[in-house]
Amino acid sequence: MRKDLTSYALVFFGLIATAQAADPPGTPSAAVVMAGRTAASSTADHSKFKELDRDFKSGPEVTRACLQCHTEAARQVMRTKHWTWEFLNPGTGQRLGKKNVINNFCTAVPSNYEFCTACHVGYGWKDANFDFSSEQNVDCLVCHDTTGTYRKLPGFAGHPVYQDTEFPPKSGKIVKAVDLKKVAQHVGKSSRKTCGSCHFFGGGGDGVKHGDLDSSLTQPGRHLDVHMAKDGLNFSCGTCHLTSGHDVPGSRYAPTAMPKGRIIRGQKETGNPASCESCHGVEPHAMQRLNTHARKIACQTCHIPEYARGGIPTKTLWDWSTAGRLDKEGKPFKVKDSTGREAYDSKKGDFRWETHVIPEYIWFNGTVNYTLRETRLDPTQVVKINSFEGSPMDGRSKIWPIKVFRGKQPYDVGHNQLVVFHTWGKDDAALWTNFNWERAIEWGMREIGAQYSGKFAFVATEMSWPITHMVAPKEDALGCAQCHAPATGVGRLDQVPGVYIPGRSANRALDTFGWGLSALALLGVLVHGGLRILTARKREGDTA
Amino acid sequence: MLKAFVGFVAGVLATVVGMYFAMPHLMFNEMQSPFGFEETIARIQHNIVGNPELKAKGWALSGLRDPARAVAAEGGNVLPVKMVEVCSTRYSKPILKDDTVRYLSILMPCKVSVYKKNDGKVYIATMNAGLMGKFFGPTVGEIMSQVAEDQKLFVVMDPSKPAPPMILPTAAPAAGGGGAGAAGGC
Repeated sequence: MRKDLTSYALVFFGLIATAQAADPPGTPSAAVVMAGRTAASSTADHSKFKELDRDFKSGPEVTRACLQCHTEAARQVMRTKHWTWEFLNPGTGQRLGKKNVINNFCTAVPSNYEFCTACHVGYGWKDANFDFSSEQNVDCLVCHDTTGTYRKLPGFAGHPVYQDTEFPPKSGKIVKAVDLKKVAQHVGKSSRKTCGSCHFFGGGGDGVKHGDLDSSLTQPGRHLDVHMAKDGLNFSCGTCHLTSGHDVPGSRYAPTAMPKGRIIRGQKETGNPASCESCHGVEPHAMQRLNTHARKIACQTCHIPEYARGGIPTKTLWDWSTAGRLDKEGKPFKVKDSTGREAYDSKKGDFRWETHVIPEYIWFNGTVNYTLRETRLDPTQVVKINSFEGSPMDGRSKIWPIKVFRGKQPYDVGHNQLVVFHTWGKDDAALWTNFNWERAIEWGMREIGAQYSGKFAFVATEMSWPITHMVAPKEDALGCAQCHAPATGVGRLDQVPGVYIPGRSANRALDTFGWGLSALALLGVLVHGGLRILTARKREGDTA
Repeated sequence: MLKAFVGFVAGVLATVVGMYFAMPHLMFNEMQSPFGFEETIARIQHNIVGNPELKAKGWALSGLRDPARAVAAEGGNVLPVKMVEVCSTRYSKPILKDDTVRYLSILMPCKVSVYKKNDGKVYIATMNAGLMGKFFGPTVGEIMSQVAEDQKLFVVMDPSKPAPPMILPTAAPAAGGGGAGAAGGC
């Protein structure tokens, strides 16, 4: 019951907050939101619970203690993508999720479980035999830690370190053993920091994957995100991704491209609350001209003019084909770029990084089709890991900003299919151990029981990500000139097909013809009017 | 006679109008960089500190100014822009000693601006020192023409050289995105 009340309070204050999102900090509306947050704070002090007053030896022990009171929590979590890492897209019928998709970052989870599952909300997923039905394997702390000391490292199958550990290995840096009792006694609501501990670090590092999600959003300034600004509205992730029964709305496998409008508290609603329109509605501007734009242009297109704006670069290219090079002594090496970031790593290949990235823009209707492992590909073309569908004519599309991540990755030459390869492991077949592609691919393909011809090459790939975070203050939204009639000759939407954009689509001859017609019409009116006046006066003179 | 006079006046007017529109473009040089934002800055910095010819002429980095930082501090956004500040006392000293042109200290230190535009590309801008110098008499004109020649070496973008590390200011930037870490220069 308490939880329900808290949820309602969050919805209520969240709606007030988002409805006033355009107001500057310090306005009465912002003050109401902050006061609301304080009033909605927890009624339970977990440090007083005897169930948590003990020296836990492992994460699952903590979970068992949590479940003594929160009896349904584990079962709720186990129904979500955060647990299953699987998603059946009802629109396309494709079986997606981290467990099934091969991306062009670290590529695939199978054969690399212990490493990748540092970001699983569970404990012990070290191979394909992980028990998805065991409630004690659910990791409560990774989302509910408020101490900032709970950390899951790659290579530990989703467990935190229970003893002081040198990480990365041979780095000389020691990660302290987690104090499970302290963490368990200080649990609370999820926060930007807890969500960000995985989502800010997708793709193997800070800001690598998404570009609009990185650790600069942990304590962002207003310029970086008007909603999450630490000195402004101070939204947590859950304010928009309004969670019920541990099911967090918002999906990159089936995004909502054209939200219906406001979601009202108490109204039966199946829409996605994690959309701009769910708070701001479909006509949020005072100027009607802008509202007509919003029918065909996603809010994010204008209000997120660039991503990776928080000072942390995002990776824009990953070329696996150059991985495996060794120095003269036969040892792996790294090359750094001008800012000290890795531009080459023998383990991973070549990278390119960028800050303040101008998005690419496409028509998008919410349907995403994936190139899965079993999909046949054409190696002479750039393979789209995911294709965002959309058209100006289908009535379901809007122009969206996206990050397009480009790279090269291995594929099976015999079957023309993407391959799974074994990057990390304590065996000698892992790419990062022996730098031998043949063995790494053979191992990975055997792990998933797939056929492999024994021959591989590298194919160029692209993967697209919708840009939805890092919403700039309204005064920094794109202006008219950045799409229409750009003085520089370059407009943001130059590459978006099938739409007439005055200025962008200007034809000098047609413009001259049009203005000429207008001038002639004006001249005609003046001459005609003048003659009428003259003849009228003449008539008056004759009459007199 | 009248026709010749009218023609002369028309010619003068046309020249003035032409100069009015052309001058803003003549006073500054802009070029596109083939490299990313940070790498462009780093290459300019290393062109300056790593070139013996420039070193012999006294050129040294005097700061790296970030005007976008000040905008961000006030809650706003602009595309990244940084100015590599560089100076040589060989050139600044004669100007600073001469009361009649001392006001030109406003142009010091010499700046190379690196910025990104809405097309996502990185650009480099410098002052057209050679042209500007011509307006301030022979002494300044001579100095500025030499500066203009040296500036060309600042912005050489040689893809055969690996990306060097960016030289960061040695002290925290001052309020307003000011440059810092002046190891040399003016």
